[in-house]
Amino acid sequence: MRRAGLLGVLTAGLVTMFATISAWAEALPSFAANGTLTVCTNPTLPPMTFVNGAEASALAGFDVDLVREIAGVWNLRPDIVQMDFEGMFPSLSAGRCGMVISGVMRQATRERNFDAIPYYESSMVVIARTGTPKISSFSELSGQTVAIETGTSYGRLIDIENTALAAHGKPPIRVQLYPSEDQVIQQVLLGRAHAAMSQDVEVLYRRQQLGGKVTTIFKPDIPDFHDFAIYIRKDAVDKARLEHAVEELRRRGTLTALAHKWNIGDTLEETAPARGAPSRFDVQTFLSALTSRAFFKGAAMTLIMALLSHVTAIAISIPIALALNGRRSLIHPVLSAYVAVFRGAPTLLQLLFIWNALPQFLPVFRESWFTPFLAAWISLSINESAYQVEINRAALRAVDRGQSLAAEALGMKKSHVYWHIVFPQALRIALPPTINDFISLLKTTSLASVISLQELLAVTQIQVARTFQFTEYYSAALVWYLGIVFFFLYVQNRIERRFTWADRDKAAAHDA
Amino acid sequence: MTLNRLPDPEKRLSIRDLSKLYNEFVALDHISLDIEQGEKIVVLGPSGSGKSTFIRCLNRIEPHDSGVLMIDGKIIDQKTDLTELRGRVGMVFQNYNLFPHLTVLENCAVAPRLVRSIPRGQAEDTARRILAQVGIAEQASKYPIQLSGGQQQRVAIARALCMDPEIILFDEPTAALDPEAISGVVLIINDLAAQGITTVCVTHEMGFARRIADRIVFMDKGRVQEITPPEEFFTAPRSARAHAFLNEMIRF
Ligand SMILES: Nc1ncnc2c1ncn2[C@@H]1O[C@H](COP(=O)(O)OP(=O)(O)O)[C@@H](O)[C@H]1O
Ligand SMILES: [Mg+2]
Repeated sequence: MRRAGLLGVLTAGLVTMFATISAWAEALPSFAANGTLTVCTNPTLPPMTFVNGAEASALAGFDVDLVREIAGVWNLRPDIVQMDFEGMFPSLSAGRCGMVISGVMRQATRERNFDAIPYYESSMVVIARTGTPKISSFSELSGQTVAIETGTSYGRLIDIENTALAAHGKPPIRVQLYPSEDQVIQQVLLGRAHAAMSQDVEVLYRRQQLGGKVTTIFKPDIPDFHDFAIYIRKDAVDKARLEHAVEELRRRGTLTALAHKWNIGDTLEETAPARGAPSRFDVQTFLSALTSRAFFKGAAMTLIMALLSHVTAIAISIPIALALNGRRSLIHPVLSAYVAVFRGAPTLLQLLFIWNALPQFLPVFRESWFTPFLAAWISLSINESAYQVEINRAALRAVDRGQSLAAEALGMKKSHVYWHIVFPQALRIALPPTINDFISLLKTTSLASVISLQELLAVTQIQVARTFQFTEYYSAALVWYLGIVFFFLYVQNRIERRFTWADRDKAAAHDA
Repeated sequence: MTLNRLPDPEKRLSIRDLSKLYNEFVALDHISLDIEQGEKIVVLGPSGSGKSTFIRCLNRIEPHDSGVLMIDGKIIDQKTDLTELRGRVGMVFQNYNLFPHLTVLENCAVAPRLVRSIPRGQAEDTARRILAQVGIAEQASKYPIQLSGGQQQRVAIARALCMDPEIILFDEPTAALDPEAISGVVLIINDLAAQGITTVCVTHEMGFARRIADRIVFMDKGRVQEITPPEEFFTAPRSARAHAFLNEMIRF
């Protein structure tokens, strides 16, 4: 008895000791799950994070390499999730990724909700077209238009400046918000904005890409805009572990090596060789974008998402339409409310709700099976079903009551009456508005880029951010969208020809 | 003619005190009538008198609220197998209600195929034979929209006949037809009677009623006012209401 007891205590002690040692040796943060480090990034900010090449999966940049290095320190497999800038922090909150690394500045206000771990020094810059005189304070921008990226913290800075300007009776700085950094810079090039705000490292990259068309006119020294930082959910232990990992990379010289690799060293700005200015419309770029695998995949995603969502919407909407057209009952108000809510709420809001808000209430939706594809499918199906209910109700009502009466008088069962008599006639009435809705849905899928679905428009924007060739890539996307839409208009035309029975002249032609 | 209080199981149709309400409104008020096999009954009466409601009760498209409806000795009520009943009692609607998305042939073959599970080929053979019988064999592959009113009427009759009914109910079969087409319908209905099929026909067309009726059932305000052979009805109606009705009809 006693020996057995002693052995038990010994074993327990050993197990505890090993557990402690291994935990200390690995020092993994709590957000590392199943050997994976999941990171959110918005790859439209070269050279920090961008898609380097025609393939949407070819993520590259300082930040992307940093993710791989950190994952290496912890012996984890990196999993990088791409999404819109605005989607990243909600995704971090929802537990969909463990870290945000996306050229985001360390900022006191953000640190209220998240922990920030700085990894590289940088400074904010105000840029303008080359030739614009340099300025020495923000107040000199009074009355001018400044473009900034949505979701970044530059806006707050300008708000503070504007308050000061107002106190001196001067006109405020006007702000234009754009969803990506490339669009911000494009406003400067187009002359729509006098200046734009960005980080020195990106400006350097763009200067090279744009043949020196933009220049830095002001480099303010603001403590809130000194460092790029990694963001995580608030957790003192995780923060310490991540700081330790970053420190380890700094000590090894990895950070310096990465800075060299991506040309973001301090000394490089003046010596950066300017490439030739890009041409107005490069046919070669357009054609290769049009035929690229990335665009093909984006278009396929758009098409599949629209088809799948619409088929699901139709399946949901038919029983609802039948119930709403039938005798009044208790479920009527419920179904009417369903239609009213999902027809009334903006599709974008529904997508964001399902993707970002739902997981806060129901943790199962944080798990990896709940992909952007699934979320977009669910949101778009529900949204479209609300519209489809109205189309189906109108179509079913438009079928003469005498039709089902005649079928019943012949002894047909209710199901036969619907399948063989009412539905085929309702289909003809519902088809044109349904195809119309489908074409609309096809374009609505582009909203799903906010929850990181890699559909056609998301692919386009990523390519534009990399190359700064707006016209070529937008045109390629346009051709794809139009191609798909025209194909479905053709299909509609073919199907309508089968409805010759509804038109005396066509029916006669069919006979001949 | 006096009727027994109890329904007569020997008759094709035996109706006793049949009543129908729409909420408070009495659409049919204690209707009693016996109809023989192969008999041709014409129901006359002013608009809104309940003629359509009456014949719709006979195939239970409108269920009656009280009274007895007996067909071939079987009582028709909520327990009746409607598929079986409607196979026995066919109906031709006022505006035909042909299925616009089906060809003439499919209009005729669809119910036998779905309701009786008859194979398509066989159902279509039967349909062709019946279309020939009503004189529109050559229209089989056309859609209803391509046909004239008279032709559509014949399709509607053929469609009902394809279910091989014992009784056919007609609601205003001549309302939209020219005189020539009306004569065609007269021939068809007489032909049906010759085959032993009972017809109950609601109409506004006095000439048509006179040509086909074995007996006239005159209704007003949901009640049967009189049941009379046509020669007598048109020359010496028994009820004052029928008298007034006929005078009204002559004036127009
Ligand atoms: N579904 C219904 N609901 C309520 N009232 C009805 C309905 N169908 C018919 N009625 C009423 O019943 C009466 C008889 O109608 P109907 O049988 O169509 O007359 P008829 O065929 O003799 O012109 C009319 O007053 C009509 O308004
Ligand atoms: Mg009527």
